[in-house]
Parts: sequence; C-alpha cells; structure tokens
Amino acid sequence: MSVRYAVLCVTPLAFVTAGCDPPALTPTGVRAVFGTQGLGPGAFVYPRAIAVGPDRGIYVVDKSARVQRFSPEGEFETLWNMPQRKAGKPVGIWVGPDGRVYVADTHYSRVIVYDRDGRELARFGQPGTGDGEFMLPTDVVVDADGFIYVSEYNGNDRITRWSPDYKFVSVVVAGKVAGQALARPAAMDIDAEQTLWVVDACNHRILRLDCSGRLLACFGEMGEGAGQMRYPYDISVTPQGTIMVCEYGNSRLQWFAMDGTPLGTWGSRGRKLGQLWAPWGAAVGSDGNICIVDSLNSRIQIVRP
Amino acid sequence: MNVAALTLPFSFEQPQWLWLCLLIPALVALSLRSLAGLEPVRRVLALVVRSLVIVTIAISLARVLHVRENENLTVLFLMDRSDSVPEDIQASQESFIAAACEDPPPHDRVGVIDFARHAYVQQPPYEGGYYLEPGRLPRMPNPDRTDIASAIRMAMAIFPHDTAKRIVLLTDGNDNMGDVLQEAATARADGAVIDVVPLWYQHRNEIYFDRMVAPTNAEEGEQVPIRLVVHSRRRAVGAIDLYHNDRKVHLPPEFARVELAPGDNVFLVKLPIRTGGPQRFEARFVAEGGSGVDAISENNTATTFTFVAGKRKALVLSKEPTFDEGFVDALRSEKVDVDLRDVSGDDIVIDLLEMLNYSTIILSNVPAYNFTDEQLEMLSSYVKDLGGGLIMIGGDESFGAGGWMGTPVEEVMPVSFEIKHKKVIPRGALVLIMHSCEIPRGNFWGKEAAKKSVDTISSRDYIGVLAYTWSPGGVNWEVPLGLVRNKAAVKNRIDKMQIGDMPDFATTMDMALEALVKTDASQKHIIIISDGDPSAPSRRTLDAMVQAKITCSTIGIGYGSHVVERTLRDIATKTKGQFHPCRSPRRVPKLFMKESKVVRRSLIDEKPFRPKLEYAFSEVLTGIDADEVIPPLQGMVLTSPKPMALVPLVRPTKEGPDPVLAHWQYELGKTVAFTSGYWPRWGYQWTQWPSFAKLWAQVVRWTMRQEAPANFEVYTRIEGTRGRVVVEALDKDASYLNFLNLPGAMIKPDQTVAPLLFTQSGPGHYEATFDVDQTGQYIANVNVLDGADDLGAIYTGVSIPFSPEFRELSTNETILQQVREVTGGRWLGGIDEPGEVDVFSHDLPPTIAKQPVWDWIIAWLLLPLFLLDVALRRLASWLAFSIAVETVVLVFLLVGVGTAYSGLWGVLGTILLAELIGWSIRFRSIGPMLASITHTVTVLGRAGERSTAALGQLKSTRDRVREERTSAGETPDRAAPPIPDRSARFDAGEVKGAAVGDLHESLGGAKAQPEFKEKRRKPAGLGTEEAGQEDEDTTSRLLRAKRRARRGMEDEKKDKGD
Repeated sequence: MSVRYAVLCVTPLAFVTAGCDPPALTPTGVRAVFGTQGLGPGAFVYPRAIAVGPDRGIYVVDKSARVQRFSPEGEFETLWNMPQRKAGKPVGIWVGPDGRVYVADTHYSRVIVYDRDGRELARFGQPGTGDGEFMLPTDVVVDADGFIYVSEYNGNDRITRWSPDYKFVSVVVAGKVAGQALARPAAMDIDAEQTLWVVDACNHRILRLDCSGRLLACFGEMGEGAGQMRYPYDISVTPQGTIMVCEYGNSRLQWFAMDGTPLGTWGSRGRKLGQLWAPWGAAVGSDGNICIVDSLNSRIQIVRP
Repeated sequence: MNVAALTLPFSFEQPQWLWLCLLIPALVALSLRSLAGLEPVRRVLALVVRSLVIVTIAISLARVLHVRENENLTVLFLMDRSDSVPEDIQASQESFIAAACEDPPPHDRVGVIDFARHAYVQQPPYEGGYYLEPGRLPRMPNPDRTDIASAIRMAMAIFPHDTAKRIVLLTDGNDNMGDVLQEAATARADGAVIDVVPLWYQHRNEIYFDRMVAPTNAEEGEQVPIRLVVHSRRRAVGAIDLYHNDRKVHLPPEFARVELAPGDNVFLVKLPIRTGGPQRFEARFVAEGGSGVDAISENNTATTFTFVAGKRKALVLSKEPTFDEGFVDALRSEKVDVDLRDVSGDDIVIDLLEMLNYSTIILSNVPAYNFTDEQLEMLSSYVKDLGGGLIMIGGDESFGAGGWMGTPVEEVMPVSFEIKHKKVIPRGALVLIMHSCEIPRGNFWGKEAAKKSVDTISSRDYIGVLAYTWSPGGVNWEVPLGLVRNKAAVKNRIDKMQIGDMPDFATTMDMALEALVKTDASQKHIIIISDGDPSAPSRRTLDAMVQAKITCSTIGIGYGSHVVERTLRDIATKTKGQFHPCRSPRRVPKLFMKESKVVRRSLIDEKPFRPKLEYAFSEVLTGIDADEVIPPLQGMVLTSPKPMALVPLVRPTKEGPDPVLAHWQYELGKTVAFTSGYWPRWGYQWTQWPSFAKLWAQVVRWTMRQEAPANFEVYTRIEGTRGRVVVEALDKDASYLNFLNLPGAMIKPDQTVAPLLFTQSGPGHYEATFDVDQTGQYIANVNVLDGADDLGAIYTGVSIPFSPEFRELSTNETILQQVREVTGGRWLGGIDEPGEVDVFSHDLPPTIAKQPVWDWIIAWLLLPLFLLDVALRRLASWLAFSIAVETVVLVFLLVGVGTAYSGLWGVLGTILLAELIGWSIRFRSIGPMLASITHTVTVLGRAGERSTAALGQLKSTRDRVREERTSAGETPDRAAPPIPDRSARFDAGEVKGAAVGDLHESLGGAKAQPEFKEKRRKPAGLGTEEAGQEDEDTTSRLLRAKRRARRGMEDEKKDKGD
C-alpha cells in the first residue's frame, strides 16, 4: 500500500522536473529546427553550406546567394548578399577562429572573406587552372598558423594552400590519390594535429592528409552500409575526436574513428523531424550541437544524437 | 443559431440532435436501479458521468462548431505588372509595399499577388510584413493584357478564413479582359474590402496607329484601297512607311513628312495587286523628335491583310534544292505554278498566312525538328482546317527517320510512321541522361524533351532514362532501358521523375554503358543534358564507350548563369557525338528530336526495288498505264499504310506490301506520301522516266486547295475583347442566299482553333463571334454549304499588331473609383506616399470563424467520460479510482488542451488540477486506510501481550507440576512440549481475517462492518470442535450480515420514497 502512495507522490514530481528541463523534441535527439522555403529572413532557397563560429553563431549560405547568421538557438540575426549571383551560387563556407567568414564563391572562381556582419574584408582567386586560380572552389579551411586551404573541382580537382594575406603558396594535393584521381573534393576540415580531412565526394571516400599533401589515411567506399558512403558532401572533426561525414546521397550523418572505424549513423531520407533530404552540409559547434543543412527540406536541424 | 453564435463560443450545424438530451431523465431513472449496489457518492458521480456522455453524444451529432471572433487582419497587395504601366512605376510598387509594411501589427498578415494577363502569388499571407527583396520578382509572363478580375479571384482564394480581408489594389485601371466590377462585388459579398492605390501616369506626347483597314477580298490586278488612321495627342510631324508582303512600297512624297493634328488623322493609299493569295500590309509611323514626341514605340505599327483570288500555286520546301530543281522544272513543264525554297538551315521561317499563299506544300526530305512546334501545328491546321494540300517526299530526313513520328503532321498523312507489319528490322537504343534542374523550369523542359524523344522513335527501338533523382539510391533508371512498346506508359514515368542535382557523370554513364552493351541494337546513342558542373567521367568510361560504338551527344544548358562547356565538349568529342549549346530552353525538345535520329536510322531501307502498281484507278495515276514499266528505286523509308488511305504504288515484300505512294483526303485537305525519293541516291532513274512530270503534276493538282466562291462578301472586325466575322451571301444574280450552313473555324495566333458558329441575322447576312485575347493574326476559314452542295471555302481574317496595353495613355480613374465604391474601400492616394497610408487600420468588422470540433469532442471528451463511467462502477477501491481519474485528467488536459496552454505554467497547472481531483477522491479512502493500518498494529501488539501471558502461565504450570512431582518422590524427566495456546492461534486467525476483509472489499463487495469483526471474537481456550463450530457460525453470520445490509438498503429506499 505504501508503495502505491510513494508512486503517487513521485509522479507529479517527475512531471515538474520534466517541465523545468524540456526533453529533446524527438528520441532521435533533434534540439531545434528552423527555416522554411522562401526569400525572407530566416527562410532558405536550397541551403547548401553551413558553418558554426567561435561564438556558436550559425552561418548558412543558400542558392539565393545569401549568407544568413543565426543565434545558437536558431534565431535570425543578420543576412547579406554575395556581390554577384547570376553565374552561380556558393557551395562552401567556413568561419575562422577570429570570426572571419570565408565563402567559396564557387561559380565566380574565388573566395570572399567577410567579417561576422557581412562587411567584405578580402577576396582572392580568379578563373583558371594555374597557380592562384580556381575552377569551381568548394570549401575553405584555415589552419592554426592562418594558412588557408581551398578545395576545387571540375577539371581541376585539387587543394591549394594560401598564405594568411591571401597569396597563393602551393598545391597541396592534385591528381591521383591512393590509386584514384580526386573527384570533387567537396569539403574539408582540419583537426587539432593540423591534418586535413577531405571528402572525395565522387569517389565516396575520406582522405586524411598532412598540410604538405602527404596521405595519412584513406577509407570508405560507395554504399549504404556501415563504413560505406554515397556522395559525402561535408566533413567535420568533432570535439570528441571523431570524424563526422554528411552524406548527400544517403541523406544521413556517419561517424568514424580517426582510424576509419565506422561508429554509427544518424538520419534517414524524409521530411519528418529527425529525417534529412539531400543534406549538403553539417557543422559541429563547441557545445557539441550538430547543425545540419537539410537542403531539400529548406531547413536547418540542430541535433545532439 | 446565428444569434447564439454571436454570444456563445459554440454553434451547431444540426441542432435537432440536441433533443437527445431529453433522454437524460430516463437514463437517471433506469440507472437508479442498476447502480443500486454502489455507494451514494459513486452513484451520483456515475449518473453525472452518464448524463455527460449523453450530452457529448448529442452535441457531436449536432456537429458543434467552435465560433471564434478574430480581430486580426490580412492585407493582400495586388500589383499591376502589365505593359501599360510604365517601368519606373512598376518598380515603385515594390517600394510602396515594403514601406507600407515596415511595422505591421503582430498578428496581421501580408501577401503579395502580381498580375497582368494572369495572376501569380509572390508571397502567401505571412505574419511579419513583406519579405521579398525589391527587384527580385520573376519576369511577368504575358504582360500584354490586364485582368484585374483574375487577381481579385486569386486574392479571395488565398485569404485565410479567420481574419478580416483587405485588398490593396495597385493598378492603372486599364483592364482589357475580365469584368472587374462584378468580381469586386463578389469579393465584397465575401467580406473583402478593396482599397485602391492608383498608378498615375499620363502620356501627353503620344502617337499610335489606331487602325489600318483593307478589303478582306480582292481580285488580281485590282487597286486595293488601304486606309490608315493615326492618332496623336498633339500636333506632330513624322513619316509613314508602308510594306507590302515585306517589301517597302514607294509612296507619294507627301508621306515622307506628314503633319498630324490632335486626334485621328486619316490617310488613304491605293496599291495595285498583281499576285494571288493573301497580301500582307504593314505600316509604320516614325515621329520626328523621338521619344519626346512619342512615348511608346510599340504602338507605331499596324498590319492587315487581304485575300486575293489568283492562280493556285505550290511551294516546295527543300533541304537540298539542287536535287529538287529537276522536279520543279518537271512541274512547270506541266503548267503547275511552283516556288522552290531552300530550308537547309536550322530554322524554317513560315507562318500560316504565308502558307495560305499556296494551295499545296511539298516537304522534300525536310526533318521535323527544323520546324517549331507551332509550325507543325500550322501545317496540320493548314490541311485540316484550311483545306490545303501537303505532300511529303522521302529521304533520310523524312517520315519516321526525320523525326515526324508523333507530330501533328503524322496525323494528317495517309501513312503511319510506325512500322507495324514488319517482324524484323534493325533496332536502335537510346539512353537519356537528365540533369536539367540547373535552369529555371529546367525539369519541365527536360521532361518535355525526353517525351519528345519517346514520341519520335519507333516502338521497335529501346529507350532508357537515367537521372540523379531525390529517391533512394540517387542515380536511378527512371525508365529502365527497354523497348518502347507503350509510349504513354513511358511518358507517364518520365512525368513522375524528380530530377535532382547530379554530382558526377561517371555513375550514370557507366550504368548506361553497361545496359547498352547488353542490347542487340545496331545503333546505340546517349544524350546528356546538363550545365556541365557534375564531375567529369573517367577516361576509362569514355574509352569503353568508343569501343562499344556508343555515341554520346551533349546539350549544354544554363547560358546566362553558368555552363561548364569543357566537360560537355570533351564527352561529345571523344565519343563521336555532338555538343549543342542550348541558349533557350524552348530549343531543348528540338535538340532531343534531332539527336534521337541516330536510333531512327533503322527505319531507312536501302535495298533496290521496283515499285508495283497496286491500284491503277487512283486519281493521281490517271494516264499511267497499268502495263507501264515503273523505274526502280534504290531505297525508301519504312512506313505503314493507314486503313482509309489509297496506296497505288507499293514495294512487295514477304511480310506484306510497303507503301511507296499513298494518298487520302483528311478533313478539308488532301495529303500524299511518297516514301522513296527521286533524288540521285534513290531515284535517279525516275527523273528520266517519261511519265515523271505527268505523274507529279497530277499528284500536285490533286492536292491543291479548292477556290473560294467570288460572290461572297466577308469581313472581320474587332469590338473590344470580341471579334466578329460577317458573311454577306449573294448568288450570281445578286440575290440573297438564305438558310446556308456555314461551318467555320478561327485559327488564333497561337495556332489553337476555335469553331465559328454562324447565325443568320438578316437576308443573306450571317455573323459569328470569337474571343480576341492574343496579339497576331486571326485567320478564319468558312465553308459554304447550301444543303448538300459544297459551294467552296472562303477566307478572312484580322490582324492585331500590338497589345491593347499600348493603347492606354492615362490612368483609368473612373473604373478604380467604381471598384472602391462597390467594396466600400478607401482611396489611398498616390504610390509616392506610402507613409501616409495605414493599410493595417483595424476598421473592418472582426471575423467570425467557425471550426468543427465534434471530432475533437469525441476523441477528448467522450472517450475519457466512458473510461470514467467504467472506472466508477468497476474500480471498487477509491484509491484505484482516484488514480484512474487523475490519469485521465492529466492525459486529457496535457494532450487535449495543452496546445492552448503550453509552457511550464500550463504543465504545472494541469498537474495541480489533476492532483487536486485525485486527492479529493483519495481523501474519501485515506481515513479508513490509515485506521486499518493502526488497527493492524494494535491487534498485533495485543497478540504479543497475550502470547507473553500464555507463556508465563505455562511456565507457572510447569513449575507447579515439577514441585508436585518432587514432593511425591518422582524423578523429574525431560520437560513435555508446551501445549500451544489456542488463544494465540485465534489471534493469528484474526489478523488473517482482516486481510480477507480487504480482499473482499477490493473485489467490489460491500465493506466489512466493524460490529461483524467484534462478533467474531472468541474467548481463549476454545477446543477444536468449537473451532469448527465457530467456522460454521462465521459463514452463517456472514449470510445474516448480507441479508441485514440488503434489508437496510431497501428500508432506506422506502424511507426516501416516503
């Protein structure tokens, strides 16, 4: 009898406790969702790249050539337009530790650097296949010494290194890597050991390179199973030291250990909460929250699986 | 119920069902007996719950509606983007809307619709204002008309039902399509108000061609009078140029500098007509002083045309004129008037009016993809509706091999371009790789192009479609490579494709390669449409394609945005295909048709044969002797004869005759198919055949259109948005012809055909009307039937040279004031004063929104009430009952109404309420329960005391016996086991009995009475027999107690009854 009374007393307590700290929206760990289809503030037209700044601000660039900044909770803060958009829209964005925003202005073959409020600080690169030139740049990362790395594709699939004052330094990697020619290096990230992690999207694999381009690791193949990928379009090194890959073709995230051991996946194709449709990118904040560009659903999902 | 709706938050659709509530008293009466076993409190609760169940059923059946009064407002801006609104004012409209919506009230919504001929939603009603960035609205299609009514209709369709409705209409009021006032009245009836923002302008310096009038019909050699009417707002000077059939006419010198007075200025010109057929006239006015004198340049042109009866003539469209010169000479030698035109270029320039210059058109080895879709429709209409003749002469670019399969022209030809009677012909295989999503409406054009390919290839060929789609797996065979047996099914699958953004070419090309290699096709071809930005294929893939003799052509799209030509060129070059830069999406289907010809090569059979005369009585072979030796031919395009066609010349084969020459009449026109060719490769012996000229002259004459009767007056005029065709019918004696049957058709500028229904409105006077909603040429064909006699066909038409939008010189304030008055709206002044306008003023009556809630009541009221009713009767324990009630209340409130009171306080409030209800019920049982626990503890304590006393008594007895034995000289032996104390055993049984009492209660029986327990008590030291007796007594006492309780309840009822 007394047990039943104890249960009765604990039940309301549990409700009160739950009310004080709202649980995740779904069992899959979605913390927040924001964005809809449109041209207004907070709306997207096929968003394609995302980055999280040191202040946990979320930066998204979409196919209307707008960069939008959101608070860590998904509140719209500001937006700015790319200087030109007729020839095409950017597919890559990176926020450096100093808060500078680097946008790979893909179809204009250049990288534009902004401050956090959208004031242009610099731009570099021009169309071409030579030194200091890009075909279609896809992503930018900056190492601890301030050197900038830019990946590009379409007849010139390679990664180049640029000085902190935006001067061309060298070609890090180009041509064949581990028996296969680079095919659309779609995104990069850099870890604490200053090694580059690259998604070789159309070869469906991950490459780990040192800053001079020496191959340290290569893993992955096309497929839907664990350790397999289909068009990985983004990559991030998580605070836990794992590698998170965003798969455009499989509409999911997948985690790997540094040695390539698959650790698990999250997401499936669909429109519901916790589902993704053709995601182009994902970024991890310092708080461990993962922000995913759910491209075809024109929204951003913040998750903590 | 309307009165109730205004005062209560509920209303009912079918209130008659509320009479069900009258059942409640009957239910109460019946339930008093069936619920007699329950305690009074439970009984009352059960009755209340059951009554509530009846009420909820009644209001659910009555379809209860939630009535909500909403003070919020939705403002929809309608922007006029037609040609009549000057460009600078069009741009100002967006700024006006943005400024007017800078600080909207919190829950008011803003939507934007732009309109011209059609209306489009640019922003659905959103809270928070105007989101669109100025200058980024898409180009307005068809701005050549204004239909304000359609915009109002669209607004009414997207207004939320639960807010007040305000339309802010930004327009110049120059509507030329719909009925604005009627639509405004309808909107008003639906509760909308239209505020008007007039777009003010006035073209003070403007000159335009009001009209150009020429007779509808004329005779060859006649002087045709042409009247030019030029309107000017003020005095001006300029020059008039006149063109006759695209050639400039030398007018008298005074036309080089004419002075215009304000108003209409009329000029008359007479032109001699020396040739037959339709005569096209075009006049242009060039003002001195440029745009300062004449603001709108689009309205300075006028066109008209006159039909002139003359000699019948044929037109030969030739891909290689040198091969057709002999043919043309042969026709001329037989007195057939014929023109030869070189159409070896990509595009053929010809319109329906020009076609009407000729009585028959001959297509000599011309592919279908050189014509636009509109021109193909024109050719079909030329035959079907205008009675023209059409002859198609074979070659590697004609019939099915020329992409004519599935076109409107195939329908009018006497042969089908599909091969139905052959068992074995070489096959072709075509794979389409679709990446067309990179341009606006790219997937639409991609699908149209893919369907065009399906149309133009034979059902004996293979086709497959590959794309990166949004379905699982990414790259998929949207149409698996297979024979095109069911073209409709294949096109249906193409329509369902969701073409996505393809990352690379390699995956799709490898899949195509693998599938094509496995087919038995003799021709294998791939067409890729893309902007070229997927990753390029590997060299290994391209080499494998070359090795497998698979060609690949690429179509580049995205010009104006981005196109990576290099990748596309490389693929085409390395695989011996072709690269086509495609700058207009409209060309994509034509390019697919052209490229699909690779697999259509199998329709060409180049084995020599001698045609056999199958049907000597054909009109076209008159004079050709059945015994005459017909020269051999070296090849032909395979076709199948249509059932009603005459096929005088065939190629005999084991699988049946192949048609060589076929002809028939199709509706008003006649068509001929010659599937071989007289050109050197196939028919060099034919041109030397003595009967060659005679045969073809007969063929051409047979197809030529019939002449029109000369004694009919026909004219057409425009009256606003309607056109009128008038026929004055006279016979040779100039007497009126009455009761004629005049079936007619009007071919509009977009080549759609509208029937003309003539009614007789006077002696020999017939009229028909048609819609004028396009700019261009309207051509009518009227057949004259007098009973069963066909008197021939007559032609007429009218030309609309420029959109009526360019006729408007100022804002139409009158119509705008009327719209405002009809709807009770406001006149918001000019577009330059957005700050002065409060479009969000809440001066409209609030909206009454009614929402059905009966389903919600069934789910969230009826079901919990049922549960409560069951719990009341079945859960005898108050504790269990309280838990059930608490749970139901929690779930109901949290889920059912939690949406309205979400948040921490809502949750806490809900929990508090549920707990209050639960504890108030529980309080009913907690006292007895605590008493029960206290009683148990007391009983146990007493039992312990009795045990101690019994033990002490035993000890004293033992000591006493020991003493007695010792005193009697006996040796004390082992102590005898103590005899259990009966009273102790009885006490244990009493505790057990208490538990039995609980169980009894929990099973729903009546609660054990305290006095019953007292009666069970027995003195200590009772023997076994007495114990059995005591059990028996217990049963009998229980029965007696039950009877007593029942009697008590009956007495109580009687008391109440008294």
